[in-house]
Amino acid sequence: MKLAYYPGCVAQESGKELDMATRWVCRALGIELVEFPNFSCCGSGFVDEANEVLNIAINARNLAIAERAGLDVLTICSTCQGMLTLAKVRMQDPAVKARVDAALRPLGIEYRGTANVKHLLRVLTEDIGLPAVKAKVRRPLQGMKVGAFYGCHLLRPADEMGSESAEEPHAFEDLLAAVGATPVEYRGRVMCCGFPIQFVKPSTASAIAGRQILDAKSHGADAMATPCPLCHLSLDAYQNKAAKEVQKPLDVPIFHLPQVVGLALGASPEELGLPRHLVPTDAALAKIRTAASA
Amino acid sequence: MTADTISAAFDVYRFRPGKDTAPRYQRYTLDLAPHTPVLTALLRIRAEVDPTLALRYSCRSAICGSCAMQINSKSRLACETHIGPEVERHGRVVVEPMRNQPVLRDLVVNQRPFWNEYDKIEPHLKLDPRRPMPEGKATSMSPAQVERFKETPRCIACAACYSACPAVEADPAFPGPMALAKLYRFVVDPRDTATEERLVRIQPNGLWLCLRCHLCTEACPKDVRPSERIRDLKEMAIAVQGGTELGSRHAIGFKENLKGQGLLNEMKLVRATSGFTGMAGELGQGIRIWRKKPEILRRPRTIEGMDEVEKIYEALDPPPKEGS
Repeated sequence: MKLAYYPGCVAQESGKELDMATRWVCRALGIELVEFPNFSCCGSGFVDEANEVLNIAINARNLAIAERAGLDVLTICSTCQGMLTLAKVRMQDPAVKARVDAALRPLGIEYRGTANVKHLLRVLTEDIGLPAVKAKVRRPLQGMKVGAFYGCHLLRPADEMGSESAEEPHAFEDLLAAVGATPVEYRGRVMCCGFPIQFVKPSTASAIAGRQILDAKSHGADAMATPCPLCHLSLDAYQNKAAKEVQKPLDVPIFHLPQVVGLALGASPEELGLPRHLVPTDAALAKIRTAASA
Repeated sequence: MTADTISAAFDVYRFRPGKDTAPRYQRYTLDLAPHTPVLTALLRIRAEVDPTLALRYSCRSAICGSCAMQINSKSRLACETHIGPEVERHGRVVVEPMRNQPVLRDLVVNQRPFWNEYDKIEPHLKLDPRRPMPEGKATSMSPAQVERFKETPRCIACAACYSACPAVEADPAFPGPMALAKLYRFVVDPRDTATEERLVRIQPNGLWLCLRCHLCTEACPKDVRPSERIRDLKEMAIAVQGGTELGSRHAIGFKENLKGQGLLNEMKLVRATSGFTGMAGELGQGIRIWRKKPEILRRPRTIEGMDEVEKIYEALDPPPKEGS
């Protein structure tokens, strides 16, 4: 399987460990990642707020790059997934398409809407398939209770994301179970991580993050896993602030989705960039070892 | 139990503030057809089992918006939520009052906070007495103008969006999805003459606290899509005022940021939004993150084909004209 790899900005910089883990897992599962050094940022939802049609055009250009190569797009960030998908949906409006086409045509760029945009979660659960993932598991994550944190843009708006039920999703839990972890269900799994207002009102952003972490923890989670590097920043890099807002100790390790899969497939913590996390992952990893030796 | 019914367990939130020390969940088990609405089940419980159960409802047809509540943690109208899928997915039906509004009794909440936000946006047409509408033209609108707010009048003010909103939950400064969707309705109404004033007023009053999580759009039983209308308000507010708030500065800063390399330059963005003073305030946190993720200080590479991105900006994001 061959896909146009759209890592997004964060995974190329401060969330480098997500990129490392994605490459490791894709190599292990036979997914060929084709890189395009001309992909730009998706606008992260912020450009959309400032100028919607500009944001659509930027992403139509990104999509056209994959189309020209005849490839579907692989995303590893919920926000990238949301923005690229939203561009596809908005381009179905003839008035919008006319404006965007007028900007792209002089550049020799043609957007046709033929490339699918798929997040790694969907590729693993729908295209590779859970039995194939399971067959590659060398170190089942037995004993580790993980709260899947879907966040927002992988699911909503549901009619546009074309995904599973936005209110009762289960693909992430199914994946966690396939690699031997015990999925933990909690209300906060489909809630927001708070990140979009981290710069607008940090205390509110962290209060929102804190609620979801606390919710997962109080349902017994040893760790959480997220499909989005922005959620990861909010839940991991700012977890100290979140703990302060909810006035409770949290200490919940936050994994990127491919890190959880990579661990089960036999990657070392270093290969997955786990030492780059702000909240140490050792306690959660110890759970696996304890169960394995028991 | 007949072949056509299922045994459904309802765990219903019961609480009388001032009388009970804490809320409790009461279990009722009924044999019901899977397509039975939760509201019908609750009314049967009240009629046949427990007359003290308090709930709010009226039309039973998803028109009045009275019976919004939490059903297995989802903010929904009880009259149009069937028990079958709930029992199948969760093994039971947990029924709780809406969130973000104080409980009066059992499933009935005090909707005052929700309506206060609605009142604050001044939900009525503002007409300029100096610019009277031409005789006979007062209510005429083109189809294109009507198209801009075809969704918002569908709102039945059930408050499901308000209940589902994490920004409302965490911050009383946020007006909530319904009030903002209603505000949008007046902002785009061509008869209203207070468009700019409304946008200027809402900017510092919570507009930028919207997380664009779309939980409101998901909860809305009438497909009003509040999160998308809030996005529209943000773009219109920027068009009127530019970056006067941290939120609008961040959105503009992000847009300008990509003009550099085509990828996000994290440090430059933080500087554009928060300024050097804001950055200094977050210095400790910045150093904490930098020690694990030194890339936050790195300038990203410039993408190939940056000239294309620049041309797209020139075509669709021209700089404001002189004097405007």
